[in-house]
Amino acid sequence: MATITESIRKEVKEIVYSFFADECEVDITQINDNTSIINDLDGDSLMFLELIEIFKKKYQLDIELKVIGKYAVKHPVATIGQLITMQLLIIEHENRLLDIDQ
Amino acid sequence: MSDNHLAFIFPAFSNDYNDHPGKNMPGFNGQFNEYLFQAAGLTDPQLAGFNFGDTTFPDDELRTQYVTYIYSCAVSKLLRKSGHSPAITAGYSMGIYAALFDSGSVTFETGLALIRIAYQTLHKSLNDKRLGMGTIIGLCRNDIQQLILQSSLRVEIANQNASHSFVVSGYRDDLQNLLEMATEEGALHTRDMSVNISYHSGFMKEGAMDFARQISNLEITAPETPMISLIDQIFLSNPEIIRKELMRNLYHPLNWLETMQVILEKKVSTFIECGPSTGLARNARFVDGIRFFPLSSMLS
Repeated sequence: MATITESIRKEVKEIVYSFFADECEVDITQINDNTSIINDLDGDSLMFLELIEIFKKKYQLDIELKVIGKYAVKHPVATIGQLITMQLLIIEHENRLLDIDQ
Repeated sequence: MSDNHLAFIFPAFSNDYNDHPGKNMPGFNGQFNEYLFQAAGLTDPQLAGFNFGDTTFPDDELRTQYVTYIYSCAVSKLLRKSGHSPAITAGYSMGIYAALFDSGSVTFETGLALIRIAYQTLHKSLNDKRLGMGTIIGLCRNDIQQLILQSSLRVEIANQNASHSFVVSGYRDDLQNLLEMATEEGALHTRDMSVNISYHSGFMKEGAMDFARQISNLEITAPETPMISLIDQIFLSNPEIIRKELMRNLYHPLNWLETMQVILEKKVSTFIECGPSTGLARNARFVDGIRFFPLSSMLS
């Protein structure tokens, strides 16, 4: 179980912001934590999947995609801020992500 | 200019023309309209009423296929006219007809006929069966196979787009069950594709056989550009192999991920999606080494 430091928090936020700015061809200054991924950025599930793969590689995470899927059903993500929160939880708990709810 | 690293990829069909990539291609509108009116005269007068500004034919599967084919042929014509000659051509699903046109195997008119006959023969074979297709993102092949087997669902995996991205095809009620079960199992996303035919599944075999009989008189020649099969990744070198591929394409599962990997092994890594959508380019993000170029950049 990883400890989430301020530097990881900052790094995750930077990666998520620049990922969506790049993928959705919007100026990064137009993105904030309340930006809706679908309505404002026209994002999709493949982008979500790609972002997960980026974090899996970067932090060498041991987590199955379906664990994230099951968690996402109970905790749907709509905004950039919610997505960052979920990514931090994934980094922190990896395959034990679902244990948070128990 | 012949480009040893270039592949033209032709998508299946799309009814979303918002922000379509061809709009920035010089000469696209003229070429598209030329083919559109030609197709209207040859096969369906209503096609002449299509325009990109509204949602013409949103629920009409056959006309949607025609428009995507016309679009793709216009792109192919423009790219080739400007000197681009790919090392490999591939047609994703129903994009096979535009790929055949691009490779020089069939005329524009024959491509339209193939689309019409495929659609009509498959529809006729449905009788009262209610079929459909869907997508599942986030599960692996084994997870999906397990779900199908454990509930004896009349659904098959019809295509693999990426390691965790699949198309499934089969009976509509079982398909709905599978999509719900996939979500419970942890799929990140599922979608009903709102089509009435279960392309690339064994449920279409009878219709595919009828299709093969009906196209026996259509002229098909050997491709001038190597064209790869999405079924077994062989190169379709002569008319007989192409006829067999056209039939199997209707009822046999495809593997787009494996096809991209085989193309890459041939040192071909620059892909152009020659159609109205960018879905194939988005899927290719999960395959290291492939670069998809936007259409507009090819002619600017």
